[in-house]
Amino acid sequence: MNHLPDAGSRLGVRRVWRIDMALVTRAEGRMYLTPLVGFLLLFLGFPAIVNLIYSVSTVTFETLRSPVLSGFANYVAVLNDREFWSSAWFSLRFGILTASAECLIGLFLAIFLAPLLSKRPVLMAPLMLPLMVAPAMVGLMYRLVLHEFAGPVPYYLFEWFGDSPAFLDINNAFRTLVVVETLQWTPFAFLLFYMAYSAIPLDVREASSLDGASPFEIVRWIDLPLMKPTLVIAFFIRFIDGFRVFDNVYALTGSGAGGSTTSLSIYIYQAFFKEGAIGKAVAASVVLFLASFIVLHGLNRLAGRRKR
Amino acid sequence: MVRALRWIVFAIAVLAMNFPIIVTLITSLKSQRELSTNPGLWISQPTLDNYLEVLTQTSRFNIYAYLLNSTVAALIGTGLAIVLAFPAAYAIARSEAGKRLVLPIVINLRAVPLIIFAIPLYMMYQWLGLLDTRIGLGLILTIVNAPLALVILVNAISDVPVELDEAAKVDGASSLQVMMMIVRPVIRPALVTTFIFGFITAWNEFLFGLMLTTSRAVPMTVGASFFFAASGGGVKWGTASAVMMLGALPPALLGLVMYRQISGSMTAGAVKG
Repeated sequence: MNHLPDAGSRLGVRRVWRIDMALVTRAEGRMYLTPLVGFLLLFLGFPAIVNLIYSVSTVTFETLRSPVLSGFANYVAVLNDREFWSSAWFSLRFGILTASAECLIGLFLAIFLAPLLSKRPVLMAPLMLPLMVAPAMVGLMYRLVLHEFAGPVPYYLFEWFGDSPAFLDINNAFRTLVVVETLQWTPFAFLLFYMAYSAIPLDVREASSLDGASPFEIVRWIDLPLMKPTLVIAFFIRFIDGFRVFDNVYALTGSGAGGSTTSLSIYIYQAFFKEGAIGKAVAASVVLFLASFIVLHGLNRLAGRRKR
Repeated sequence: MVRALRWIVFAIAVLAMNFPIIVTLITSLKSQRELSTNPGLWISQPTLDNYLEVLTQTSRFNIYAYLLNSTVAALIGTGLAIVLAFPAAYAIARSEAGKRLVLPIVINLRAVPLIIFAIPLYMMYQWLGLLDTRIGLGLILTIVNAPLALVILVNAISDVPVELDEAAKVDGASSLQVMMMIVRPVIRPALVTTFIFGFITAWNEFLFGLMLTTSRAVPMTVGASFFFAASGGGVKWGTASAVMMLGALPPALLGLVMYRQISGSMTAGAVKG
């Protein structure tokens, strides 16, 4: 009944009919939602409950189906685990650094290349190609790129400078991974910014240019303020994706380099699959869930305020 | 002058961001012998031997199996996501149902680290006998794809004039008929985009492939790493590169052909998320 277009009110008769019959009744609406909601409840709701129960239980692979409630020992174990905090710190730094770098480079590319791309849209394709390749596959590819004997990067560094750093050792692995992630996902930020930039009406820019604004001033005082919502959203999306990183880190270093590249996702994966510490892994999952809930809640409130 | 600079920046950006792909392509075209002496970016004698080896010697690692597993699981994960999301999107776009709870929750799902659910899902799969099956992997990929499918389809249906629905309704169509026979054909392009985008996402998924499969249902992203397991004389970079190129080809081709639609749906998901 929300969908009465103005035209309808001109015809009294049809209007009566419309009030009687909404396009989709409430019951029908619920029915159409049921398959999706049911599926999500089964595959996410049920696991969430299992998580909560197991996180306050003593459980091993042998007693998987009969967990014994044991209070918050798992949480205490996780929160006292130095590995947990170092992996949380890794994820946080990784998320912030990669999101910042991706947004800065992406913003520059979007504005600087816009005149080129608006005339030849097909140039977008090679810029978007990295987004189409699996991050795990890209991680594997960098094993080749950075390999000390087979990789071209160490080869050329030796050729030109006589020395090449060990990209994946304990001192450099973090930086290497930040660069790898940034190079693959800058196109995403770039794409969002380019779309937002293209959506700014040309006459706004022309008017300020007639008023004597330099190109730099136009970007600073016209374009950037108009693109601000997109900047915030892109940063958050990239931060979240960087924070939960798994694929490319796992494929490139395992959690190798002396555990210096264990992200939170990898921490949980290893606690479960390598150590068999189910309670710990599950408790860490719940902590991660709470953390992402808080971040998302903040983001939604931010978005809600903007709409108003 | 500035124009030349733009071209230079463009070239550097493309080269830097696609560098691993370029290196892998070059390496895959080098012969075994050349690989041991020439790690550089040129090829003195290009050869397809590596691809031939990967595609013919399948006794140890069968690339066809990985490709088939990825294809089947991605098709299930994309098709089912659309089947579930389309009616839900119709309800959300055309009635009050789902606007306040379902839509926001599903959108936020995109940003939740899915590893949170991985461990109970692993146990659940063990009970249900879905571990190491394509169907099991496909069902998980449905979860991965559902949020974006819902957002894209809600946007698409909202853009369809309500008058179209109403006209059909006047002629006596039920809402199910309107949905399937009026709205579905009109938003066909959005359904295609959702499908392509979902297929690429599903194909590229790694975490659940790694956790939930061991041998029979291993997808390409996981299978590719098997070729890196040192076999006596270390990694055979030529064949490993050929495998990576073949594994990256389907989503890359789809993406290059459909880049325009995909860029649209990426921004749609982002703006609403």
